[in-house]
Amino acid sequence: MLEISDLSAGYDSKDVVLGVSIDVREGEVVAIIGSNGAGKTTFLKAVCGLLPVSAGEVRYEGRSITDLAIHEIARAGISFVPAGRHLFPEMTVAENLGLGAYPHRPEAGQQSVVFDLFPRLAERRRQAAGTMSGGEQQMLAVGRALMSRPRLLILDEPTAGLAPKLAAQAYESLAALRTQGMTILVAEQQVPLVLSLADRGYVMETGAIQLQGSAAELRDNPTVRRAYLGVA
Amino acid sequence: MTAAILDGIVLGLQFGILGVGLTIMYGLGGVLNLAYGSMAVVAAVVVSFSMRSGLPAGLAVLLGILTAAGIGLALNLTILKPVYRRQGEARVLLSLILTIGVAFIIDGFLVWRFPIEVLSLSIGGNPVLILGVPMRTGSLLASAITLLTGGALIFFFRATVTGRAVRSVIQDEVGAQLCGVNPATTRTLIFTLSGALVGLVVVMQSMTSPVPISAGFEITILALIVTVVGGLGSIRGAMLAGLILGVVHAMSSFYIGSYITTIILLAAAAFTILLRPSGLFGKHA
Repeated sequence: MLEISDLSAGYDSKDVVLGVSIDVREGEVVAIIGSNGAGKTTFLKAVCGLLPVSAGEVRYEGRSITDLAIHEIARAGISFVPAGRHLFPEMTVAENLGLGAYPHRPEAGQQSVVFDLFPRLAERRRQAAGTMSGGEQQMLAVGRALMSRPRLLILDEPTAGLAPKLAAQAYESLAALRTQGMTILVAEQQVPLVLSLADRGYVMETGAIQLQGSAAELRDNPTVRRAYLGVA
Repeated sequence: MTAAILDGIVLGLQFGILGVGLTIMYGLGGVLNLAYGSMAVVAAVVVSFSMRSGLPAGLAVLLGILTAAGIGLALNLTILKPVYRRQGEARVLLSLILTIGVAFIIDGFLVWRFPIEVLSLSIGGNPVLILGVPMRTGSLLASAITLLTGGALIFFFRATVTGRAVRSVIQDEVGAQLCGVNPATTRTLIFTLSGALVGLVVVMQSMTSPVPISAGFEITILALIVTVVGGLGSIRGAMLAGLILGVVHAMSSFYIGSYITTIILLAAAAFTILLRPSGLFGKHA
């Protein structure tokens, strides 16, 4: 579904991501794990059009989307939830969700799917997004991303800034999406949490893929255990 | 007293629309358009000429508004392109310099070619009593159009998919793009709308008092005051600030004299900025 080959990207002609290749198949949950500053965010931003790609190619359902603008990639069926969330602070929850369906009017059906997933949002539908807690904003960001009925959901650090309990809840919601057949690519530092959800994973360090394998393989890998799972 | 307040509300709605036209350009493109009033005067000249050459008033007005809208569109597609490639302060400054240049060119050309042109749409009919106050047909018609326009703008920004997309770009451009909104298309639409709004306001003003060829600068300053008081980029802020300043304007011309109203408006603006540096509904208030 998504094939990324030898992608390099960065800021001001200095590449931070160096020749990364990954692929995501339909129905899979794929994790990119790595420490802070490993290049995960830069990589996802380049894939979704928020940063220019300096080399390599991104193919989605067989066609190149490497040079498309953010909104063109969004309309192709990829919803990206960045770590910064980028909600509309002065709009209500309902208005934020409505824009997720742009350029169409929001469908009541899809909105109730989102409300089933995050009942909290239904309670707060008239509240301005900017006045909500971090956890609620994260729910809204994911909810808004789902309103367009995407075929691929890409998330950057969905647990950033969340208390452990909320982080676990966020992954329960992602697990529910997965059972509905959603394809998910997620970058995460909370390795145990993301490996409990993912089918496969890639380990990224200093802008390159160091390791890859099934979630079980990664969990048992001595390097991963030492570096990310806190096991000596 | 009632007369002054009624006048003030009508004027205030016009100020509000004037402010909305300028503030949406700033909110969307980071462009503070100092050629705003000059665009309006071009519209006034077009209306005046078309009517003199025998076109019906309605058609002439439409032509004038379309001309102002066309200038907004043309600016967006030509000299403002390099502005969008910059960010933050550089973007605002470059837009100021470029649009002030455009204002000089338009104003200079108008003064050179049409030095004594004045747009005055006088509408006949006897005064009508409203709340015991005789109102001229011209100002009643202007008020009706202003109310309709204000209502249409509120409906557009709150209830339509496109209007909400415009607000989304103002609040978070990347967020809007992630939802599939194309900011460039939105900008083109809004700059055209902005031109149409300032054209409409100048036509309405000409129904109550003549608009001279030199009015451009004054209109720009007025729009800037409304926008700054309301909070740069805030649509409802501009509407509210317009209403308040309109009433202030009418009251001060009624009780003190019209020669001093501009100073009072500026003082009101300065006062607001001192109390609330980012305006009534500023983004970072």
